[in-house]
Amino acid sequence: MEIIEEKQSDINIFKLNGRLDSNTSQGFEQKIFQAITDGSKHVIVDFKDLDYISSAGLRVILKATKAIKREDGQIMLCAMQDYVKEVFEIAGFDSFLPIVATMDDALKSF
Amino acid sequence: MAKKEFSFELKSSLSELDNLCEKLEDFGQKIGLSKKLIFEINLALDELFTNIISYGFGDEEEHIIKVTLTPQKEELCLCIEDDGTPFNPTDFAAPDVAASVENCKIGGLGIHIIRKLMDEICYQRCDGKNILTLKKNLSNEAS
Repeated sequence: MEIIEEKQSDINIFKLNGRLDSNTSQGFEQKIFQAITDGSKHVIVDFKDLDYISSAGLRVILKATKAIKREDGQIMLCAMQDYVKEVFEIAGFDSFLPIVATMDDALKSF
Repeated sequence: MAKKEFSFELKSSLSELDNLCEKLEDFGQKIGLSKKLIFEINLALDELFTNIISYGFGDEEEHIIKVTLTPQKEELCLCIEDDGTPFNPTDFAAPDVAASVENCKIGGLGIHIIRKLMDEICYQRCDGKNILTLKKNLSNEAS
Protein backbone atom coordinates (compact mmCIF):
# COMPACT_ATOMS: atom_id res chain seq x y z
CA MET A 1 0.00 0.00 0.00
CA GLU A 2 1.15 3.50 -0.77
CA ILE A 3 0.48 6.41 1.59
CA ILE A 4 0.92 9.95 0.29
CA GLU A 5 1.13 12.65 2.93
CA GLU A 6 0.26 16.23 2.06
CA LYS A 7 -0.33 19.39 3.98
CA GLN A 8 -2.82 22.16 3.14
CA SER A 9 -2.48 25.06 5.62
CA ASP A 10 -2.87 23.30 8.99
CA ILE A 11 -4.57 20.18 7.61
CA ASN A 12 -2.65 16.90 7.30
CA ILE A 13 -3.94 14.82 4.40
CA PHE A 14 -3.28 11.09 4.05
CA LYS A 15 -4.05 9.61 0.64
CA LEU A 16 -4.31 5.84 0.80
CA ASN A 17 -3.63 3.78 -2.28
CA GLY A 18 -4.10 0.00 -2.42
CA ARG A 19 -5.17 -2.29 0.40
CA LEU A 20 -5.43 -1.51 4.10
CA ASP A 21 -5.27 -4.89 5.89
CA SER A 22 -3.46 -6.48 8.81
CA ASN A 23 -0.28 -6.57 6.73
CA THR A 24 -0.28 -2.85 5.83
CA SER A 25 -2.21 -1.18 8.68
CA GLN A 26 0.82 -0.88 10.93
CA GLY A 27 2.63 1.38 8.46
CA PHE A 28 -0.39 3.67 8.25
CA GLU A 29 -0.79 3.66 12.04
CA GLN A 30 2.79 4.82 12.47
CA LYS A 31 2.38 7.65 9.95
CA ILE A 32 -0.91 9.01 11.27
CA PHE A 33 0.20 8.77 14.91
CA GLN A 34 3.44 10.54 14.06
CA ALA A 35 1.35 13.45 12.74
CA ILE A 36 -0.85 13.45 15.87
CA THR A 37 2.21 13.36 18.12
CA ASP A 38 3.65 16.28 16.15
CA GLY A 39 0.56 18.29 17.09
CA SER A 40 -1.65 17.88 14.04
CA LYS A 41 -5.28 18.54 15.02
CA HIS A 42 -6.87 18.59 11.58
CA VAL A 43 -6.59 15.38 9.59
CA ILE A 44 -8.19 14.15 6.37
CA VAL A 45 -7.92 10.55 5.19
CA ASP A 46 -8.58 10.29 1.46
CA PHE A 47 -9.93 6.85 0.51
CA LYS A 48 -10.32 7.55 -3.22
CA ASP A 49 -7.64 5.06 -4.30
CA LEU A 50 -8.17 2.55 -1.51
CA ASP A 51 -9.54 -0.70 -2.95
CA TYR A 52 -9.86 -2.75 0.20
CA ILE A 53 -10.12 -2.49 3.98
CA SER A 54 -10.37 -5.11 6.73
CA SER A 55 -11.06 -4.81 10.47
CA ALA A 56 -7.34 -4.15 11.00
CA GLY A 57 -7.73 -0.97 8.91
CA LEU A 58 -10.90 0.03 10.76
CA ARG A 59 -9.02 -0.42 14.02
CA VAL A 60 -6.37 2.13 13.01
CA ILE A 61 -9.01 4.64 11.87
CA LEU A 62 -10.88 4.26 15.17
CA LYS A 63 -7.73 4.53 17.27
CA ALA A 64 -6.61 7.65 15.39
CA THR A 65 -10.08 9.23 15.69
CA LYS A 66 -10.04 8.68 19.47
CA ALA A 67 -6.55 10.18 19.76
CA ILE A 68 -7.44 13.26 17.69
CA LYS A 69 -10.67 13.81 19.66
CA ARG A 70 -8.71 13.71 22.91
CA GLU A 71 -6.65 16.63 21.59
CA ASP A 72 -9.85 18.50 20.61
CA GLY A 73 -8.96 18.02 16.99
CA GLN A 74 -11.00 16.80 14.03
CA ILE A 75 -10.63 13.98 11.50
CA MET A 76 -12.56 13.61 8.23
CA LEU A 77 -12.76 10.52 6.02
CA CYS A 78 -13.58 11.14 2.37
CA ALA A 79 -14.17 9.67 -1.10
CA MET A 80 -14.71 6.03 -0.15
CA GLN A 81 -15.41 3.45 -2.84
CA ASP A 82 -18.68 1.57 -2.37
CA TYR A 83 -17.20 -1.72 -1.15
CA VAL A 84 -14.96 0.06 1.35
CA LYS A 85 -17.85 2.15 2.63
CA GLU A 86 -19.87 -1.02 3.05
CA VAL A 87 -17.26 -2.40 5.46
CA PHE A 88 -17.67 0.72 7.62
CA GLU A 89 -21.44 0.18 7.49
CA ILE A 90 -21.25 -3.51 8.41
CA ALA A 91 -19.10 -2.59 11.40
CA GLY A 92 -21.56 0.18 12.35
CA PHE A 93 -18.72 2.72 12.17
CA ASP A 94 -20.53 4.92 9.64
CA SER A 95 -22.90 6.05 12.43
CA PHE A 96 -20.23 7.86 14.40
CA LEU A 97 -17.28 8.50 12.09
CA PRO A 98 -17.28 11.63 9.93
CA ILE A 99 -17.49 10.22 6.41
CA VAL A 100 -18.07 12.64 3.53
CA ALA A 101 -18.39 12.14 -0.21
CA THR A 102 -15.57 14.29 -1.56
CA MET A 103 -12.27 15.92 -0.66
CA ASP A 104 -13.92 19.33 -1.13
CA ASP A 105 -16.55 18.45 1.48
CA ALA A 106 -13.80 17.35 3.84
CA LEU A 107 -11.78 20.55 3.35
CA LYS A 108 -14.86 22.72 3.86
CA SER A 109 -15.63 21.11 7.21
CA PHE A 110 -12.64 22.68 8.97
CA MET B 1 -22.29 -23.50 -11.87
CA ALA B 2 -19.97 -26.48 -12.29
CA LYS B 3 -18.69 -28.33 -9.26
CA LYS B 4 -15.05 -27.50 -9.37
CA GLU B 5 -12.98 -27.53 -6.26
CA PHE B 6 -10.20 -24.98 -6.02
CA SER B 7 -7.67 -25.17 -3.23
CA PHE B 8 -4.39 -23.54 -2.27
CA GLU B 9 -2.04 -23.24 0.68
CA LEU B 10 -0.83 -20.15 2.51
CA LYS B 11 2.15 -19.84 4.83
CA SER B 12 1.68 -18.50 8.34
CA SER B 13 2.71 -14.92 7.59
CA LEU B 14 0.54 -11.81 7.18
CA SER B 15 2.37 -11.01 3.94
CA GLU B 16 0.47 -13.97 2.45
CA LEU B 17 -2.64 -11.76 2.35
CA ASP B 18 -1.49 -10.48 -1.06
CA ASN B 19 -1.27 -14.07 -2.24
CA LEU B 20 -4.78 -14.77 -0.88
CA CYS B 21 -6.11 -11.78 -2.82
CA GLU B 22 -4.49 -12.92 -6.09
CA LYS B 23 -5.74 -16.49 -5.71
CA LEU B 24 -9.30 -15.31 -5.03
CA GLU B 25 -9.27 -12.94 -7.98
CA ASP B 26 -8.11 -15.76 -10.26
CA PHE B 27 -10.77 -18.08 -8.90
CA GLY B 28 -13.50 -15.45 -9.08
CA GLN B 29 -12.73 -14.61 -12.70
CA LYS B 30 -12.63 -18.27 -13.67
CA ILE B 31 -16.08 -19.04 -12.36
CA GLY B 32 -17.55 -15.61 -13.12
CA LEU B 33 -18.15 -14.15 -9.65
CA SER B 34 -19.02 -10.48 -9.30
CA LYS B 35 -16.36 -8.07 -7.99
CA LYS B 36 -18.50 -7.45 -4.95
CA LEU B 37 -18.61 -11.15 -4.15
CA ILE B 38 -14.86 -11.53 -4.61
CA PHE B 39 -14.38 -8.59 -2.23
CA GLU B 40 -16.65 -10.16 0.39
CA ILE B 41 -15.04 -13.59 0.18
CA ASN B 42 -11.62 -11.98 0.39
CA LEU B 43 -12.64 -10.00 3.47
CA ALA B 44 -14.12 -13.01 5.29
CA LEU B 45 -11.07 -15.19 4.58
CA ASP B 46 -8.70 -12.32 5.44
CA GLU B 47 -10.36 -11.89 8.86
CA LEU B 48 -10.08 -15.61 9.59
CA PHE B 49 -6.53 -15.86 8.28
CA THR B 50 -5.45 -12.81 10.32
CA ASN B 51 -7.01 -14.35 13.46
CA ILE B 52 -5.19 -17.62 12.87
CA ILE B 53 -1.84 -15.89 12.35
CA SER B 54 -2.31 -13.52 15.30
CA TYR B 55 -3.55 -16.03 17.90
CA GLY B 56 -3.32 -19.54 16.51
CA PHE B 57 0.33 -20.48 16.82
CA GLY B 58 2.37 -20.43 19.99
CA ASP B 59 5.67 -21.10 18.24
CA GLU B 60 7.91 -19.52 15.63
CA GLU B 61 7.59 -22.42 13.20
CA GLU B 62 6.12 -22.01 9.77
CA HIS B 63 2.62 -23.46 9.47
CA ILE B 64 0.42 -24.06 6.47
CA ILE B 65 -3.15 -22.80 6.22
CA LYS B 66 -5.21 -24.59 3.61
CA VAL B 67 -8.06 -22.87 1.80
CA THR B 68 -10.59 -24.78 -0.30
CA LEU B 69 -13.32 -23.13 -2.37
CA THR B 70 -16.14 -25.26 -3.73
CA PRO B 71 -18.80 -23.71 -5.92
CA GLN B 72 -22.09 -25.55 -5.54
CA LYS B 73 -25.40 -25.05 -7.23
CA GLU B 74 -26.58 -21.98 -5.39
CA GLU B 75 -23.87 -21.44 -2.87
CA LEU B 76 -20.16 -21.14 -2.50
CA CYS B 77 -18.48 -23.22 0.17
CA LEU B 78 -15.26 -21.87 1.71
CA CYS B 79 -13.15 -24.01 3.97
CA ILE B 80 -10.09 -22.90 5.94
CA GLU B 81 -7.94 -25.38 7.83
CA ASP B 82 -5.06 -24.80 10.26
CA ASP B 83 -3.10 -26.82 12.81
CA GLY B 84 -3.08 -24.08 15.47
CA THR B 85 -4.53 -24.11 18.98
CA PRO B 86 -8.24 -25.01 19.13
CA PHE B 87 -10.26 -21.92 18.35
CA ASN B 88 -13.95 -21.75 17.60
CA PRO B 89 -14.88 -18.29 16.33
CA THR B 90 -18.58 -19.15 16.46
CA ASP B 91 -18.32 -19.19 20.29
CA PHE B 92 -18.02 -15.44 20.29
CA ALA B 93 -21.15 -13.38 20.76
CA ALA B 94 -21.74 -10.51 18.38
CA PRO B 95 -20.41 -7.23 19.80
CA ASP B 96 -22.87 -4.52 20.78
CA VAL B 97 -23.40 -2.03 18.03
CA ALA B 98 -21.43 1.02 19.06
CA ALA B 99 -23.12 4.39 19.15
CA SER B 100 -20.06 6.60 19.54
CA VAL B 101 -16.32 6.68 19.08
CA GLU B 102 -15.83 6.57 22.86
CA ASN B 103 -17.86 3.36 23.44
CA CYS B 104 -16.63 1.55 20.41
CA LYS B 105 -14.55 -1.51 21.19
CA ILE B 106 -12.64 -3.25 18.49
CA GLY B 107 -12.56 -6.81 19.87
CA GLY B 108 -14.62 -9.31 17.93
CA LEU B 109 -15.03 -7.01 14.97
CA GLY B 110 -13.49 -9.45 12.50
CA ILE B 111 -15.91 -12.20 13.53
CA HIS B 112 -18.82 -9.76 13.40
CA ILE B 113 -17.87 -8.89 9.79
CA ILE B 114 -17.67 -12.59 8.84
CA ARG B 115 -21.12 -13.25 10.32
CA LYS B 116 -22.58 -10.35 8.36
CA LEU B 117 -20.99 -11.39 5.07
CA MET B 118 -21.58 -15.14 5.20
CA ASP B 119 -24.78 -17.15 5.43
CA GLU B 120 -23.48 -20.09 7.41
CA ILE B 121 -20.48 -20.75 9.64
CA CYS B 122 -19.56 -24.15 10.96
CA TYR B 123 -16.58 -25.11 13.15
CA GLN B 124 -15.04 -28.53 13.61
CA ARG B 125 -11.95 -29.69 15.45
CA CYS B 126 -10.64 -32.78 13.73
CA ASP B 127 -7.25 -34.59 13.84
CA GLY B 128 -5.57 -31.67 15.60
CA LYS B 129 -6.91 -29.19 13.08
CA ASN B 130 -9.35 -26.30 13.17
CA ILE B 131 -11.69 -26.63 10.21
CA LEU B 132 -13.98 -23.71 9.57
CA THR B 133 -16.54 -23.94 6.80
CA LEU B 134 -18.35 -20.87 5.52
CA LYS B 135 -21.22 -20.80 3.09
CA LYS B 136 -22.24 -17.91 0.93
CA ASN B 137 -25.56 -17.97 -0.86
CA LEU B 138 -25.15 -17.05 -4.52
CA SER B 139 -28.79 -16.96 -5.55
CA ASN B 140 -29.22 -13.26 -4.70
CA GLU B 141 -26.05 -12.23 -6.45
CA ALA B 142 -26.10 -10.47 -9.76
CA SER B 143 -22.71 -11.05 -11.30
